[in-house]
Amino acid sequence: MKQNDTLLRLENVWKIYRMGEIEFAALKGVDLEIDKGEFVAILGPSGSGKSTMMNLIGCLDMPSRGVIRLDARDISKLCESDLAQIRGKKIGFIFQQFNLIPTLSVLDNVMLPLEFQEVDNSVARQKALKLLDLVGLKDRVYHNPSQLSGGQRQRVAIARSLAVDPDIILADEPTGNLDSKTGAYILDFLNGLHTNEGKTIVVVTHDLNIVKYVEKVVYIKDGEIEKVECT
Amino acid sequence: MKLARAFKHALNLVMHSKLRSWLTIIGIVIGVASVVSIMSIGAGLEQDITSQLGGLGADLLTITPGLSKASGFSHKMPSDGGSATEGEVVLDRTDVQVLKGIPEILLIDTEIRGSAEVYYLGKRGSVTLTGVDQKVWAQITTSEMRDGRILGPADQNVIVIGGRLADDYFERPLGINKMITIEGSSFRVVGILDDQSTNIYMPIQMAYHVLDDKENDVYDSITVKIKNEDKLDYVIETIEHKLMMTRHVTDRDKDFTISSSRQMGEMKSEMVSSLTTFLTAIAAVALLVGAVGIANTMFTSVLEKTKEIGIMKALGARNKDILAIFLLNAFLIGLIGGIIGIILGYLLSSILPTLMGGGGFIGRLASAGSVVTLESVLLSLSVAVGIGTLSGAIPAYQASKLKPVDALRYE
Repeated sequence: MKQNDTLLRLENVWKIYRMGEIEFAALKGVDLEIDKGEFVAILGPSGSGKSTMMNLIGCLDMPSRGVIRLDARDISKLCESDLAQIRGKKIGFIFQQFNLIPTLSVLDNVMLPLEFQEVDNSVARQKALKLLDLVGLKDRVYHNPSQLSGGQRQRVAIARSLAVDPDIILADEPTGNLDSKTGAYILDFLNGLHTNEGKTIVVVTHDLNIVKYVEKVVYIKDGEIEKVECT
Repeated sequence: MKLARAFKHALNLVMHSKLRSWLTIIGIVIGVASVVSIMSIGAGLEQDITSQLGGLGADLLTITPGLSKASGFSHKMPSDGGSATEGEVVLDRTDVQVLKGIPEILLIDTEIRGSAEVYYLGKRGSVTLTGVDQKVWAQITTSEMRDGRILGPADQNVIVIGGRLADDYFERPLGINKMITIEGSSFRVVGILDDQSTNIYMPIQMAYHVLDDKENDVYDSITVKIKNEDKLDYVIETIEHKLMMTRHVTDRDKDFTISSSRQMGEMKSEMVSSLTTFLTAIAAVALLVGAVGIANTMFTSVLEKTKEIGIMKALGARNKDILAIFLLNAFLIGLIGGIIGIILGYLLSSILPTLMGGGGFIGRLASAGSVVTLESVLLSLSVAVGIGTLSGAIPAYQASKLKPVDALRYE
């Protein structure tokens, strides 16, 4: 088996939310493996538990039960500060809402993850400029996010997600707020990152267009994995 | 996150919520400005009194008939309410003779005091007239001359007047060598004092003529200058002892009071400092309100920035990074408010007394000027910054504890 190549592994992961007396299981014993360099899509309708799954994969939340291993390290019992460290070093986020900081310039937004890693300012700056060049926004570095189109903002977000050279790029509905043409461009771009740079990319979405790019599709429904298709 | 970057983000927070930040800063400015100006005015007043204290001469003692409870040196206050002072309690030549027998005493000035009608160029008025022993007054008085000369031993129908009587009291200034009518007799002005009083000083023999109700050789007060001011307490005791013997009184029915100008000054200074403390306490309340304003702004800011806090946490910000950014934000508001407040307080403390001008206590404030001490500046700045940071602490802590998932979902 390719055990050594496993980057992320979910073992019987449960996530239970308590709302007063009522308990609601968003994830019911999920098992999943994601290998290094894989391009994976997690597909499911809203309310299926895919957002919960993405929060767990992104170390934004802790499972109620079960084990999550990132690089063979159990991260399901870590404290928030340690999780923040892992997020900062190993995970690059791309959100549906782009989630850029509106009061910072494009350049400062891309530099932000590096600042949390206490990278030297000049180094961070060079890196951010290089990444913005990569996403084709070299001439927009001093603009504010509000001066950019949706597609441009998402490219800034992609540049930001790449800033710390993460192990996984985690995209939550990256095309959800974009028209189909721009959405296709973004997916092409992610695909390019995967094929050219060998990045591990996990896309959580309900957009079926993704299927033709990825190597593995995880269908999720009612908190359980319905099926896993390798394409 | 490095401190410099956290500082940059904190500054960014201040800059991007301009109106709210400035409103909060104004709150701190008002608090700091009032503390600084009140402390400065108080310090100025205290310094003024202290310098007066030096000028008043620590080697002077004043003896007055009757027992004044306020400034008695004796710890044993009479319990009978000073009934011994009723009737003909006076200071006269006998007492002067006693004082002359004390070797530590250098000079003795006998004075009488009363109210006199004055008339000059069609305007009448009533002022305080003091008869002084002109042979020694020049050496014993602490008043400074502004113009002319002081009373000399050979003077008769001449007077020295206070500065305000010379300048404003009458319709026209009353200058040197002008004649003024006092209780029907004419007197020539030979000197003007450098003060704001309306007092008239004249040789005591003339004053006995002018003030009808005064009896010859009976004095309202005796001022003595002692040879060595270090011996002040000893001289007070000696005078007290000897006067009590010749006046046939004991501690219980003592009928005279010895006061030193130093003691008076100390009392005044104490009064001013307690007044300043009281006013500063009120100003401190303003500062406290400003601090509550910072806390309020910070809570609102944290609420408003919840989503951004979530984003930052997703990007790897640890709790302490978020804490640093928001604490620095509060620190900055306190610092900016503190600096502006100090400048404003400094301006206020120099302008305010002059603006309120006029006579009385406020007039004294104006002439005293203010002293902005480094101490008060540092104190209020550190209080502003400290209070700012402190009141930002709870909101900042709250921000740092936000769970990333919840914060990200916040709209």
